[in-house]
Amino acid sequence: MWGPQIVAYACTYCSYPGADLAGTSRIKYSPNVNIIRVLCSGRVSPELILRTFREGADGVLVLGCHYGDCHFISGNHRTAKRVAVLKRVLEYSGIDPNRLRLEWVSASEGARFAQVVDEFTETVRQLEPMERVLA
Amino acid sequence: MVSVGQHENIEILGYSEVEEVGGYVGNFTVKVRKKARYVNADLCTGCGLCQEKCPAKKIPSEFNGGLGTRTAIYMPFAQAIPRVPVIDRDNCRYFREGKCGVCAKLCPRGAVDFKQEDEIVELQVGTILVTTGFDLFDCSRVSQYGYGRYDNVLSSLQLERLVDASGPTRGRIVTKDGQEPKGIAIVHCVGSRDKNYNRHCSRICCMYSLKLAHLVKDSTDAEVYQFYIDMRTGGKGYEEFYERLQEEGVIFIRGRPAEIVPHDGRLLVKAEDANLGRLIQVPVDMVILSAGLEPRHDAEDVARVFGLSRSADGFFLEKHPKLAPVETASNGVFIAGACQGPKDIPDTVAQAGAAAAAAMAMMDRGRVTLEPSIAEVSVKLCSGCGECVVACPYSALKLVDGHVEVEETACKGCGVCVGHCRSKAITVLHFTDEQLLAEMQGALHPLEVA
Amino acid sequence: MNRREPLKSAIEELLDDVDGVLALRSTSGHVAPHLFCGRQELEELAVSPKYSLPATLRLIQAAHPEARLGIVCRGCEERGLIEMAKRNQINLDLVTVIGLACTPEEAEECRCAKPYPSVLVETHVGERAEPVVDQLVEELRQKDVAQRMEFWRKHFDRCIKCYACRNACPQCFCPECTLEEGLWVETGEVPPTYPTFHLIRAMHTAGKCVGCRECELSCPAGIPLTTLYALIREDVREMFGYEPGADLDQQPPLVLPVEVES
Repeated sequence: MWGPQIVAYACTYCSYPGADLAGTSRIKYSPNVNIIRVLCSGRVSPELILRTFREGADGVLVLGCHYGDCHFISGNHRTAKRVAVLKRVLEYSGIDPNRLRLEWVSASEGARFAQVVDEFTETVRQLEPMERVLA
Repeated sequence: MVSVGQHENIEILGYSEVEEVGGYVGNFTVKVRKKARYVNADLCTGCGLCQEKCPAKKIPSEFNGGLGTRTAIYMPFAQAIPRVPVIDRDNCRYFREGKCGVCAKLCPRGAVDFKQEDEIVELQVGTILVTTGFDLFDCSRVSQYGYGRYDNVLSSLQLERLVDASGPTRGRIVTKDGQEPKGIAIVHCVGSRDKNYNRHCSRICCMYSLKLAHLVKDSTDAEVYQFYIDMRTGGKGYEEFYERLQEEGVIFIRGRPAEIVPHDGRLLVKAEDANLGRLIQVPVDMVILSAGLEPRHDAEDVARVFGLSRSADGFFLEKHPKLAPVETASNGVFIAGACQGPKDIPDTVAQAGAAAAAAMAMMDRGRVTLEPSIAEVSVKLCSGCGECVVACPYSALKLVDGHVEVEETACKGCGVCVGHCRSKAITVLHFTDEQLLAEMQGALHPLEVA
Repeated sequence: MNRREPLKSAIEELLDDVDGVLALRSTSGHVAPHLFCGRQELEELAVSPKYSLPATLRLIQAAHPEARLGIVCRGCEERGLIEMAKRNQINLDLVTVIGLACTPEEAEECRCAKPYPSVLVETHVGERAEPVVDQLVEELRQKDVAQRMEFWRKHFDRCIKCYACRNACPQCFCPECTLEEGLWVETGEVPPTYPTFHLIRAMHTAGKCVGCRECELSCPAGIPLTTLYALIREDVREMFGYEPGADLDQQPPLVLPVEVES
């Protein structure tokens, strides 16, 4: 049975420990997500996201800190702007923008991380596999 | 505190606030606002004459939990260091009406200075220790207990002041009308272990409630009823102390009171005695609410100034609970004490010692180990557009001769510049595009193992 | 109206103060950019078709950083100059701009929203034409996700990866282009892999594209690139209040922090 492949880019100081907390708290969440750690969500470039789709990811999750909590002061601001524009680019070129999602998850929000992953997996599951879109 | 005040290597900046922290570990620049006390600390001897003569005498005393009064020019508490009073502008007749000024006239050293202004001081420091403490839970939030409505419902801190020989009642435990209570109820876990307020256990309340019960038993003939959920007395000699209290005749009732209401001139505590499985109503003259510990109201702002994260309960987050309990995500900034989480004095002192030792070890080494993941520019790929310079949250990039240069000590490696650069002329070591792409490809195309 | 004569006079006048003026020259029926340094050369001055003169100016300035130069700019070219100046690619202190307004026909062909310069110059040769609404952009907006996919797939599959769009774009000045980098766009594949080539380009133009349409005019496959970039330009305006090429002091939005309500 096809399960969507999701790549999540998580920042070291907030969302990655948040994901870690979900694990240590033994909270179950969809296994389809692959978490890649970056120092700040601001590190994630549009090229990286597009290349991730190119490699066959059905959905890309960009996770960062809440406004005001970014360990790097305001890195997450730039992430927000970039992802907002990229979503529109995807939309205009006919790729469902719901495949790309930006969420703020703090280091203590283990349950929320799991919830976001589950919700996003469901959203992406409803769409056709990226391989078919790219063919 | 006195020996701290006299130590030649320690400078106390009292009545001051940190406004801004810049720089990085080993080279912090801290901007401090020394607020105006309107008293010249260099001239004041702490004689206290100003307090005696101040005509504005009926101001509720914060230190005594509102149970006593203070004057407009006052020392916050008896053992304050530095021993210099401060003028409360909002209540001082000179500031409000332009009249009085008695303190200035009478001060034998001429230390009162109504024209004093806030002073901004910049400190260059190598490390920072944040030990900003806690706030006590505001018991009036639990409206069914009547705190702030009924005269003889007090918080634990207020009882501490009554019990103190130098407090507002000179150590006598009495009701508002000066009578000795015949019955006192102590209610545990007010604002703690409660979905409605704070889910955490405040750790110190069981022990201090026992201590208060013991002091009540010592100085009055009152019957003491202690309403608890669990008795959390882990610690050296703590369980033994609990046993002793049971022997002293304190009545322990396992059950959280539902309501406290006035009844026949007294107070009635309605609760369920869970051990007996029965609803009970206990008439007493005084109710003490064991208020829990919360993060300070300005914890969010303080966290932002020092670059600290907070855990779900709002207290400051340590770098790692086992491997780095006094360090924080900001290199060179340490935390200790109740600001990290509720704890008692022995634990606070131990943590403070740990933080001081960690800070000293760091400074003693004379060199700091920086994270290796910092930005690196490829000059031949850089077009000099300068957009990354604006993007950098630390202003660690600057344009030199038509291309960008990285200030290595200022760069924290966040990679915002890398995420933005269209020319891909800048990268972060150990988080390069090649590395991230390899991770991503490995995740999406795992090797098939037969 | 005749724009060539007034333009010729304007350039002649400017030649007294500068080392050369960049404009179009027609030789043997072919029009190309030319740095006019002497009055006699102006016999071969041409006004159209539109060309990406700011890109050429950048190259000349890079080779001769001290030269004082003039340039003939249409509305889009002026916008291009402003965005390039913000990114340190052009030194506007040494540049004098002669404004050239587009005719209504030219504005219609380019579906241009502002077919005349007005920021770096106060006057311009030619009369201002009315802004034109881009019908293609409106049509694209009406389509749903599946229809858009079909539309763009049909076009992008004809791309031969000639890089003309990138070469013509005044905003493309990177020493080495990431679209030629195997890390991002697989080499040796024509049409280029979907969707990376075109969507990376689209993201790169966000906040930079001034709508000069040189990319679309240069594309041998006739891909309507500017409709995609125009949609993004409208979004950048809506989201961040930023208009590329409108204000020399406005900073590019993507690198600034967000205004957050606390």
